[in-house]
Amino acid sequence: MLRVFRPLLALAFIAPLVAAASAADKIRVVATIPDLKALTEEVGGKLVDVDALARGTQNAHELEIRPSLMVKLRRADLLIENGLDLDSWADVAVQGANNPNIVRGAPGRVDVSRGIQVLEVPSIRVDRSMGDVHPLGNPHYSMDPGLAPIITQNIVDALARFAPDHRAELEKNRQAFLARLDEAMARWTRAMEPLRGAKVVVYHPQWIYLLHRFGLVQAATLEDRPGIPASPAHLTRVIRQMKDEQIKLIIVEPWNDVKLANRVAQEAGAKAVVLASMVGGVKGADSYIGAIDHNVNALVTAIR
Amino acid sequence: MRALALIVISMCTALVPAAAAAQDPAELRRQIEQLQKQLDSVTDRLRRLEAQPPQPTPAAPAPAGAPPGPGVAAPPPATAPPSAMDLARPRQPFGLYQQRGAGQLLFDMGIAGDFVGNITQRNVERAGGGTFAGQENRFFPREVELSLFGQIDPYASAVVRFEAGEEARGADTSVHLAEAYLTLLTLPYGTQARLGQMRNRFGWSNEVHEHDLPWVDRPNVMRNFLGPEGLQEKGAELTFVPDLPFYVEALAGIFNGDNTTAFGRGTLQHPLATGRIRTFFELGLEHAIQLGMSVASGDTPDRNRSTILGWEARYKYRPDGWLHPLVTLTGEALYSLRKVDVGVDLDGDGSIDRVSKRERDHSGYYAGLEVQPFRRWAGGVRYDWSQYPTTPGWEWAIEPYVSFWPSEFLRFRLAYKYTDRSPQTRDAFNLNDSSARKVDEILFEASFILGAHPAHPF
Repeated sequence: MLRVFRPLLALAFIAPLVAAASAADKIRVVATIPDLKALTEEVGGKLVDVDALARGTQNAHELEIRPSLMVKLRRADLLIENGLDLDSWADVAVQGANNPNIVRGAPGRVDVSRGIQVLEVPSIRVDRSMGDVHPLGNPHYSMDPGLAPIITQNIVDALARFAPDHRAELEKNRQAFLARLDEAMARWTRAMEPLRGAKVVVYHPQWIYLLHRFGLVQAATLEDRPGIPASPAHLTRVIRQMKDEQIKLIIVEPWNDVKLANRVAQEAGAKAVVLASMVGGVKGADSYIGAIDHNVNALVTAIR
Repeated sequence: MRALALIVISMCTALVPAAAAAQDPAELRRQIEQLQKQLDSVTDRLRRLEAQPPQPTPAAPAPAGAPPGPGVAAPPPATAPPSAMDLARPRQPFGLYQQRGAGQLLFDMGIAGDFVGNITQRNVERAGGGTFAGQENRFFPREVELSLFGQIDPYASAVVRFEAGEEARGADTSVHLAEAYLTLLTLPYGTQARLGQMRNRFGWSNEVHEHDLPWVDRPNVMRNFLGPEGLQEKGAELTFVPDLPFYVEALAGIFNGDNTTAFGRGTLQHPLATGRIRTFFELGLEHAIQLGMSVASGDTPDRNRSTILGWEARYKYRPDGWLHPLVTLTGEALYSLRKVDVGVDLDGDGSIDRVSKRERDHSGYYAGLEVQPFRRWAGGVRYDWSQYPTTPGWEWAIEPYVSFWPSEFLRFRLAYKYTDRSPQTRDAFNLNDSSARKVDEILFEASFILGAHPAHPF
């Protein structure tokens, strides 16, 4: 019996070592969310080996800190985080990874929200009676294609600190990506033009950057307050508002209660559409541009 | 910009006939091509500018009461992509907390409140044999915890926790230092050290604070062998996470050994030594299991060796995209090897002639199942079986419960617990001539979190 298992055991141990050796000359990057993974892959190209802690179908606010995340972080040269308190859970994973490269304050810890003009920054004192509010402002900026130039510049800066000789290559990759993004942006802008000014209801308030980019208006949320599950009274109010204001669309995140959104939409004579809240959130949204493509197409189709 | 484009187009249209009249066809063709290029360039620029985010229009204001809620500033005009000069300008690379402004606290602060109540039989109350011994048929603050945590400097972080609670019936609420430790984060070779006063990483539940437990009370086996508050010691722990394709954490610790239930010698001359090895496997995206083994070995005040071995397993099934696990299974087992002094009456005269050392190898375990089909509701059951570290007898208990979360910061829990103790325990639970061999209890818990609270590990 042992004869059979011995080669398998050897393979199980050797295969990861071979894979690790082949990736040894690359910058090992871990991003907290898949959007940042996708953007890092675009600008890093062959220079980087990127992994993400969260999956596209998960809620990036509340990630369960599994030791498997610590394995990903154990050998990372860089940890790229969204910041603005969206992924502060990464601290717990970092602490369990025993990797000094990526602890707070280390050069390998990169917050790509630097330079982002943050929306919905509270202008008065906030507390939890307002729900799970983000005191630093709405952190869901990564799926706004108009902010990709800033995010990718932050990523290039971070990667170039580890590979200064490759800055030109990183910048070239970034420009090539931004050129493709520009082309897509023209397409998205044309497609969304008829929707400009349309009111929508969102399940969780995480679409404000995308809506604002294309001129749509967030009229209400299905959540009572951010992170607080909807009460029947609140849903009744939303349905009434949707009917009164002729709101025809509810945007739902893949991790939220799609059935509830569909029921509300049915009551209000509207449609509920699941958008990719992060890259990989829905089928076909496997790249950054692909995810925005999906979202724009879904919005245009639903509201037409 | 549209106007600019129109002007350019008009100029082109106007200039072309004029030029045609004045110059030869080749020159005219060259000029036309040049103008065509300029027109293409302007058109392209116009297209790019139109792709910029729109300014907020007064025609579509957010209705009153709609998110963003009161106190949230309306979205400012969206950021234009930075210019080449903006991007080329050098910036500080590590602008942590740049948006919090001046006067900010440089650490996080949170308060967790945990109140419990229990109702049981009068004889159990008189015998002091309930789950919360001495607090039977009462509602009381079990633990109100103030936590301060953050980075000390680039190399270390710290956690300080003060706890207040009513520890005896009707007593004043006492405040004490529950934990205070620093963690050295930048040690080499995958190591990390923790020094200070801490909840030991011994098994799964020992490290979990009262308000974070998935049950109202700590499992019987943990209370019997490690005391009502578990193993909390002063000393140091070193962890090592090897660079492997799967997670393994090895831990070794040296402590005073102040825990009077299990050890109690309380000196580094004869320290409490701890160890733990823990691993984790994901079975696809939805299933995950953590396994671990722990050991703690120290001396009792009467200089006898006490060693406790622990095994732990925790499994979760979380359907992809769910905000919470659907099924959680948790189990721990302890095996205690302890020497005790036993008086021996050699001549049968009723007096002890010699003290002899005897082995007391006792054990216990618990297994819990929790099912959470909805975000706000969970239900579960825990089964306990446990001997006592030095005395004879055993007990078993079963505890079904239901939990309700109005939000992630507030939780209520209701449980029923039945405990059955073996006849040998008669001498241990007989205060005031009462008996607590069979105990029925209704347990209630209310917990809240104010402010910051770190994410929970698996």
